Amino acid sequence: MVAAVALGGALFAQGRLESSAQVRGDSDHLLYLPSGRLLKVLDLGYSEVLADLVYLWSIQYYGNYPGGVRYDYLLQIYDRVITELDPRFADAYVLGAAILSVEAHRPEDAIRLLDKGVRANPEDWMLPFEAGFVAYHDLHDYPRAAAYFATAIERPGVHPVVRRFHAEMFNRAGDRETSRRYWEEILRTADTDYLRGVAARHVHDLTVEIDLAHLRQAIAEFSRVHGSNPADLRDLVRGGVLRVVPVDPDGRPYVYDRATGSIARVRGRSAP
Amino acid sequence: MEILPIALNTFREAVRDRVLYLILAFAVVMILASTVLGMLTVGGEEKIIEDFGLAMIALFGTAAALFIGIGLVFKEIDRRTVFTLLAKPIRRGQFLLGKFLGLALTLAVNLVVMAAAFFLLLAVRGLPAGGLWVAIWLTYFEILLVTAVAVLFSSFSTPVLSALLASTVYVVGHLTWSLKLLEEMIESPAARATIRMVYLILPNLEHFNVRGDLVHGVPVSWGHIGFATLYGLGYTTLILLAATAIFERRDF
Repeated sequence: MVAAVALGGALFAQGRLESSAQVRGDSDHLLYLPSGRLLKVLDLGYSEVLADLVYLWSIQYYGNYPGGVRYDYLLQIYDRVITELDPRFADAYVLGAAILSVEAHRPEDAIRLLDKGVRANPEDWMLPFEAGFVAYHDLHDYPRAAAYFATAIERPGVHPVVRRFHAEMFNRAGDRETSRRYWEEILRTADTDYLRGVAARHVHDLTVEIDLAHLRQAIAEFSRVHGSNPADLRDLVRGGVLRVVPVDPDGRPYVYDRATGSIARVRGRSAP
Repeated sequence: MEILPIALNTFREAVRDRVLYLILAFAVVMILASTVLGMLTVGGEEKIIEDFGLAMIALFGTAAALFIGIGLVFKEIDRRTVFTLLAKPIRRGQFLLGKFLGLALTLAVNLVVMAAAFFLLLAVRGLPAGGLWVAIWLTYFEILLVTAVAVLFSSFSTPVLSALLASTVYVVGHLTWSLKLLEEMIESPAARATIRMVYLILPNLEHFNVRGDLVHGVPVSWGHIGFATLYGLGYTTLILLAATAIFERRDF
């Protein structure tokens, strides 16, 4: 009888305590963890396990907690606690950066966190790749993204797709010549038909873009010097503006409209 | 070889101690529970299972060493069985060494059981065990050192005080790296020399902590393994000599 009353009382009290904890936000106290450097002093050599436990808690917290201030302490948790306790915990950098960029819309903080991981893990290619992807996708900062992809390429075990990202970033930044050079290298070293096809298409399209840009520049120069558009593209050679009239990679001449001075490629190109 | 019967008898007594089985059972449960933690993570499952498993082995191995070591000599004195033993032609140092070796054997068996559970878990999960045995090897020498400290205090003190002192040495042993930082920050040569001496005297248990490196795939050199083992054996021997010296002079 006494045992039944005691059990009932304890269960009732627990239910009341848990419901009040949900109202309070029962994980909030973990947001006020001291820095990882202080915790390292206190962890008695178990810093990696402590980092794991805080990481697991953070996954549950950021996966479930509906509060409006949940992102305020992201850097505190991932930068100053988890990765201070275990600087080689690569997944913490990746997840923290993903939450920062995708959910909290703070790509610069995401990159800052990944930069720390890049420095602490010189053999890991994934971290500079992730930083490059945030720079590319969120910030549209293509030169910065290219620099990160270049760092990733220097590291052992890098996935081949990183070279393709690296090459494409130069194209996005407007440096088609450099982009083509890197795509030509990829084409030269490709070991599958798929990769050869992808690289060849990029080399083809970039060559067309480069040719058209040169031709437009040459036409503008001719017009400036002679006061009118050239009659045809051979005038550019005769006028000393070009050494040779380029043709597209399929061997077909580019289409020139004298009236407007515009230049384009023939539609329906052959498969590379 | 008077030491061997004492060691074997100590081993037999220790394996009958229910506290040891409780600690061992709890350790095995915690090791296996690490797989549950692995389910809660986003990436890093292998790391979390290995970190947790190795940490539980170290933590519960140390707990077993402390729990049994602090009462090792005290129990014999309290029960007056020490008089029967020392009435025989056996030196006090041999008695102490026999007790220590018996406990070392007990802890080795303890560690093997926990390690078996850990490696079985890794095998079931299809995770590579790699060089993780090195972490367990060095953990054993850390535990031996802690055991020697517990035996040292047990040779002249009560179990409660021995537990407190041995635990303090364990904590300090993991913080000695801060003394090196302090030495770099202080300008006075005399103070630096003092701190340096304190640093060398206190056991540096971080020499045995290679868990983080191994889990992250950073190989531990044979040199480090060898020197850490030598450090553990040497330091343990020194502590046992100190314990013997104290026990020789003790009146009871």
